[in-house]
Amino acid sequence: MEGPWVEKYRPQTLDEVVGQEHIVKRLKKYTNEQSMPNLMFSGPAGVGKTTTALALAKSVLGEYWKNNFLELNASDARGIDTVRNQIKNFCKLKPMGAPFRIIFLDEVDNMTKDAQHALRREMEMYTKTSSFILSCNYPSKIIDPIQSRCAIFRFAPIKKEDITTRLEYICNEENFGYTDEGISTIVYFTEGDMRKSVNILQSAATEGEEVTEDAVYDVISKSKPQDINNMVTAALSGDFMKARDLLRETMILQGTSGEDMVVQIYQDVTKRATEGRMDSNVYINLVEYIAETDFRIREGANPRIQLEALLAKFL
Amino acid sequence: MQWTDKYRPQSFKDIIGNNKQKALIEKWVNEWKEGNPQKTLLLVGPPGIGKTTFALVIAHEFGEYVELNASDKRSYDLLMETIGESTTTQSLFSNKSKLIILDEVDGITGNQDKGGTRALNKIIQNTKHPIIMMANDFYSKRLATIKTKCQVIKLPKIRSPTINVNLKRICKAEEIEADPEALKQLAKRSNGDMRSAINTLQALSEESKTLNMEDLENVTQKTDRSTIINATSRVLKSKNITHIRDDMIIDEDPTLLMEYIAENIPREYENPKEIKKAYENISKADLYFGRTQSSRNYGYWRYATLFMGLGVALSKRETYKKFSKIVSPQSFSKMGKYRGKRNLRDNIADKMVENMHVSREIAYSMFPYFEIMFQDDKTAYEISSFLELEDDEIKRFRKKKIPKKFIDKMEKERAQRMQERQAEWAEEYKKDLNLNNSDEITDNYFEEDSNELDSIDSFSDEDIDEILQENLDITDSINEDKSESIIDEASESKVDESSDLKDSNIEEDNKEDSDSKKEKSVQTSLFSFE
Repeated sequence: MEGPWVEKYRPQTLDEVVGQEHIVKRLKKYTNEQSMPNLMFSGPAGVGKTTTALALAKSVLGEYWKNNFLELNASDARGIDTVRNQIKNFCKLKPMGAPFRIIFLDEVDNMTKDAQHALRREMEMYTKTSSFILSCNYPSKIIDPIQSRCAIFRFAPIKKEDITTRLEYICNEENFGYTDEGISTIVYFTEGDMRKSVNILQSAATEGEEVTEDAVYDVISKSKPQDINNMVTAALSGDFMKARDLLRETMILQGTSGEDMVVQIYQDVTKRATEGRMDSNVYINLVEYIAETDFRIREGANPRIQLEALLAKFL
Repeated sequence: MQWTDKYRPQSFKDIIGNNKQKALIEKWVNEWKEGNPQKTLLLVGPPGIGKTTFALVIAHEFGEYVELNASDKRSYDLLMETIGESTTTQSLFSNKSKLIILDEVDGITGNQDKGGTRALNKIIQNTKHPIIMMANDFYSKRLATIKTKCQVIKLPKIRSPTINVNLKRICKAEEIEADPEALKQLAKRSNGDMRSAINTLQALSEESKTLNMEDLENVTQKTDRSTIINATSRVLKSKNITHIRDDMIIDEDPTLLMEYIAENIPREYENPKEIKKAYENISKADLYFGRTQSSRNYGYWRYATLFMGLGVALSKRETYKKFSKIVSPQSFSKMGKYRGKRNLRDNIADKMVENMHVSREIAYSMFPYFEIMFQDDKTAYEISSFLELEDDEIKRFRKKKIPKKFIDKMEKERAQRMQERQAEWAEEYKKDLNLNNSDEITDNYFEEDSNELDSIDSFSDEDIDEILQENLDITDSINEDKSESIIDEASESKVDESSDLKDSNIEEDNKEDSDSKKEKSVQTSLFSFE
């Protein structure tokens, strides 16, 4: 069955992986080896960390890769108990039909420090039978002992040409027409994020016969919650209670993360300033607050409280 | 100087109230003095009723004493070292007994005081010296073993007339003009706690040298602990550092208190500048809670508490003279209100997590695109069948159901495609089978296998391991062939009648995931051997 294009066109082999040639080149060396060091893939969203990990597992583990591969992502419970039980039990078993086993932990930076410390033990206990692939957005959130046990690969945002080529390839496979402007608008907007690019492409494709610039802009504006705009307007006009309610509704109902909210507020304010609807001095002041909020959220504060405080700055 | 110290009774006859208990304690002291060792004395009762006073008076009688309280670490080693020694030895130069005072023994707890209770038991048993212990909670687990070895004296709360008398005495000594009615109220409100009554009196009247009913309005009734509502309203209504500090001592998670304060800031404060400033303090408090979590340094809490308490309180220019009800954090009730919608959202996200190698967060971020894609019948059908979405989950992304006709059409097309593919696969398998002639191998293998199992008893463990391993390897290869032949049979029999959708689904699984099928069979064989 065919899923959304992001899944349907997920590269299955290392050779297919797009835009990370230098990393793929080094990873290929582990094929046909009897062991592999622990790896850490760091980098922003949508640049191929998970895809590369899956492709690597397939090529290294061979036919029975599914039996020797354990994937745990941020939504699975990954407290100390998981590390102590599930991961340990998996590591203990002998690999079947493959030289070793691979544990892929996605978004390790969302694991608690305690769980990371528990993980560190497992990483050195079972080096003979198992290798770990960890992925994260910010290596700084990973405790040093784990970083020092891994070969770290930094995934850069995917180059514009590479995304363009991939999007064109998908359009051809799907028999969809496109204009160069349409594709380049997507590429410009997504800043090296392949997942977002493919999602916008598919959304634009369902809108009409052809992926055009207009269709893409339409998708981009539709896919942004209107609530953000209303929220910023309410805060700027002094109605703090309304702004705060809208914020909570968006975060609780849509599940939008704090980081995304910050970016969207930033984009909204920037749009107002560039269109001349906001004074530049006000704008630069607000950006300072937004930046500080962004920083505080990443430092581990409660995103909703921080965003409420940010809205208060708009008054 | 604290009045509680200044007016602390110095001898038994100064102590007012508790006559029965006083007599028992005096007797205990006298017995010791006459050289008759007594059981350890355990004074139990709520705070502020004179346990420490009693202990100090007794200490006065004995002259020499050692004291350890909750601020000292009280692990086994430490207790044995500091007290254990002195309990079993006597001073060379005097016959006098040395008194040992242990305050707050029910507070011996946690890692730092490891083995503390054990040490206490040991000390009590071997002592040659008088020991007094104090505790608040008679029923504390930590006292369970200790109290059987002690003479327990329970001290009740002090009656308010007794407190009143004492307050009057202090007022006289301090030359304070106090309204008798106010003193009576103060005594009553202190809830049997002499220390708190005296402290409040000092706080209210030390400067002014007067006490009247209005002064009392600034003091909330001393309950055991302030409530979260109380603390919130204090922060928003007051600018007084001590009142805020005292009321913020509550038995709740401090981050919950922060939510309460944040919720009510815009309900109390009207000036936008005040809201801005107050929320900046909330933000800082929250930041330090975050840092507490990541560093496990709970010392940061003190800053967080100050920011969200005093910081918020001082953000207002003047206190508002209005009544505003304290509202519980709305984001929590919103979460409840939207539970249904959130569950729906999470169920969809979980299906994406399972099928698309993404986390929930990333799944949510794809929802807006799904909302657009789902407007198209075909895409909506494809994605929802890929993720196995239910009708209500599809409705999350599009208002109308996918038209029944369209679904039927798509499913017919799919069945058609499937049949074609099945025919191709069947053809391939036949070729493979003819080449391998695998049926024979399978039969032979199972005969051999049963023979080996019969004789297995005579092998050592290692041998068995080896054999099992060998068998495994063989079954791997055999089962592959077997599973292929099973699929082959299944597909052949169903090729003609696969208009039924369910069957075609199963077959599709057989076909498309023949890889995973192989793996499954390997797995089953493994388990059967284990």
